[in-house]
Amino acid sequence: MTTAVSAGRPSAVTARDLARATATRQRRGARLKLWAGAICTALVVLPVTLAGVLPLPGANTQDLSRRRLPPLSEGHLFGTDQLGRDLLSRVLHGGQVSLAVGVLAVLVSGLIGIAAGAAAGFFGGWIDAVVSRFLEAQLALPLLMMLLLVVALFGPSVTVITCVIALAQWPEVARLTRSLVLVEREKAYVAAARVLGLRSWSVLARHVIPNVVRPASLVVLLLLAQAVLLESALSFLGAGPQRPFATWGRIISDGQDYITTSWWLVTLPGLVIALLVVGVNLLGDGLRDRTRPRSGKGA
Amino acid sequence: MTPTPHRVPPPGHLTRRTVLRWSALGGAGVALGPLSACAGPTGAPGPGTLTLGLNRSLVSLDNKLNQFEAAVTVQRAVRQALTRIGPDLEPQLVLADRFEMTEPTAWTVRLREGVCYSDGSPVTVEDVATALRMYGKVPGSFLLGLFPELPTVEATGERTFLLRTERPLPVLDRLMANIHITPAKANRPEELRSGLGSGPYRVVRANSGAGEYTLARNTRYWGRQPSVEKVQVRFVPEESSRVVALRSGELDVVDTLTPDSAEQLIGLPGVTVQENVGVRMCQLFYNFRKPKGHPLADPRVRQALTYAIDGTALVDDVLTGTAEEARGVVPLALQGAVQTGTYAFDPGRARQLLRSLGADDLRLKVIWESGEFAGDTSVMEALLDMLQDVGVRASLQQFQPGGDILKWRQGRAGNWDVIGNGYSSPTGQALTMLQGMYGGTAEKERTGDAFMGYVIPRIERQLSAAATEVDDAERDRRLAEVQHAVWDTWPSLWAFAPKTLLARRDRVQGLALQAINSYDLTAIRLEG
Repeated sequence: MTTAVSAGRPSAVTARDLARATATRQRRGARLKLWAGAICTALVVLPVTLAGVLPLPGANTQDLSRRRLPPLSEGHLFGTDQLGRDLLSRVLHGGQVSLAVGVLAVLVSGLIGIAAGAAAGFFGGWIDAVVSRFLEAQLALPLLMMLLLVVALFGPSVTVITCVIALAQWPEVARLTRSLVLVEREKAYVAAARVLGLRSWSVLARHVIPNVVRPASLVVLLLLAQAVLLESALSFLGAGPQRPFATWGRIISDGQDYITTSWWLVTLPGLVIALLVVGVNLLGDGLRDRTRPRSGKGA
Repeated sequence: MTPTPHRVPPPGHLTRRTVLRWSALGGAGVALGPLSACAGPTGAPGPGTLTLGLNRSLVSLDNKLNQFEAAVTVQRAVRQALTRIGPDLEPQLVLADRFEMTEPTAWTVRLREGVCYSDGSPVTVEDVATALRMYGKVPGSFLLGLFPELPTVEATGERTFLLRTERPLPVLDRLMANIHITPAKANRPEELRSGLGSGPYRVVRANSGAGEYTLARNTRYWGRQPSVEKVQVRFVPEESSRVVALRSGELDVVDTLTPDSAEQLIGLPGVTVQENVGVRMCQLFYNFRKPKGHPLADPRVRQALTYAIDGTALVDDVLTGTAEEARGVVPLALQGAVQTGTYAFDPGRARQLLRSLGADDLRLKVIWESGEFAGDTSVMEALLDMLQDVGVRASLQQFQPGGDILKWRQGRAGNWDVIGNGYSSPTGQALTMLQGMYGGTAEKERTGDAFMGYVIPRIERQLSAAATEVDDAERDRRLAEVQHAVWDTWPSLWAFAPKTLLARRDRVQGLALQAINSYDLTAIRLEG
């Protein structure tokens, strides 16, 4: 039996079929996630980054006669807090602390995780055993309790909190990197590099890591949202940087006493955190979806 | 081909599809059912049960170490003292029916006839003697600091005895309101986790770790039986949770409210907010352990800094009118307290004075423990802003409850300049508070027990002389003198006396909140 083929296309698959195909829908979904994630993230990150140049009152500038003004009050888009400070300014400056802690923490955890995971996956043997047992042991510990303990021991400061979150997050990156390296080390280019006389460390650093760093960095991006949430949780529980540093967790913690009379003190900072976390997760998902087919082709 | 006939189930026949539909409906009902409970009060106490929500954990029903005002209400419902502080801040007799100063250094006491513990055993003179010995052996006790010396017991009969001191102690009847009597055999120099009491309630369930207790009426109580059958005590640390629990009816009484919580509760149907003058002094106290030559060792610098603080704004805006700016070194509601001066807000003068004293580049570290007083964090952050306005760079360090602020206070940890602190007088007397805060000696300071390092021998001598004066009028005159002398040393950057605030459901009747932030549980009745 023959099928009628249109003159312009040497196939029975129409443009409509292509548009409805699973691959096309996945690609479209990935693009949508990417855009939505980028917009949500930008909506938070851009104002936070530019907080210093925006025409806003200082984050700690008090006006006790203008306490707890509702949103859209004169000169205060987000309203004011219990000491008459501009809530938008506090949220944006607080975001600088939270984001700085988050970014620094994921950078450090990413470096540790990629280095440890790559070494474990490539060399195997006792290095793999040590790294794997370490990360299993750490994953078995309740994360927040461990963070609170370390902060209680060393005191709450931006440096301590950054290090603590970084140390808390390296296992996830290390585990993924290890599995990626296990696949890569069996490929022909690694054998070729060895035959050419390259030392193991050189093969790992110059050939294997560059091939796994991209998917691993996507996990690092997803960890950014988790790091921001962890920092907020610590501040909420009173283990954040000392006052008067505004952090998102502290703004919400201070605002909860006014939840029935001044809803904006908790709701608006909460929405900002939610927007950032959803945005970063969507961005990470979208990037992962986009990189998958390409890595498939490459393999 | 004959089509297959479509089989229609007879009416009332139970098909598989019907079963699945009904199961899904039932499952949804089970899953969503609990959500409907969110619409109404949850865990509401029963008709005969009174539920109290404390903001600090009541780790024991003994008061040897755990002495915060709200705890007193519950502790005295189980264990009683010879006397208590009444609503007018005058001593009232409880286990004793006679408590008189018969000599300058001796008080004659007679135990009330028929007073007994909840197991029916009588309260004896030996129990009183043992209680005093045990309180005296507890290290780090706040109560011990209130006593210039602990009296000794000299039995003179089956129910009578003398309380002897080496020097006259004219307020002993008030001080003894803090010594709870327990059977001698069960008493230990530590916080008692169990044991009997002579109060109107007995403990039927206790979880000291969680700060939760269930008290039931003591059927063998020697006095008038309380109206409420059962009292549940819960520890709810979060202020917002306490407010929500009271609104939903889960709690009947929440005490020591913050001004903002009171604002949320005032005017709500079914809820009444009560307030009373307070006998607690909250202060931003200077560190008196600074070496000679340090700016804070100079009273003129301490005074200059006080001009930076806008007390009116703090009281009106931050504390929403639920406190009074201090006009003396102790709250004026206390007996024997006098007005000694007022804090003035004049930032220009503060800047000028600091410059002239060479302290214009001053840096201050302010420390405090969370919950030390209502609205603490807001007061501290406002303070920081005010100090910055006069060019003083200040930093804050907040300690969580259970942290090591005690070591800092005693000068055994880090360095600090100003501490946020609350101090109350459980006797209702100015003298007690003055002795606790300003009666520091070199000997006390060696163990870090002088209040924030405040050791000024001249003041201590004046206080000792007033404390041993048996003539009331003369004692008050001497006390007034010493309060003026203390004020002139500028011990606080700023101070205020918060009112005591309490909220209750309207079904709770007869609750009379006292100035010492406590109330008598036996007077309460439940309606509805």
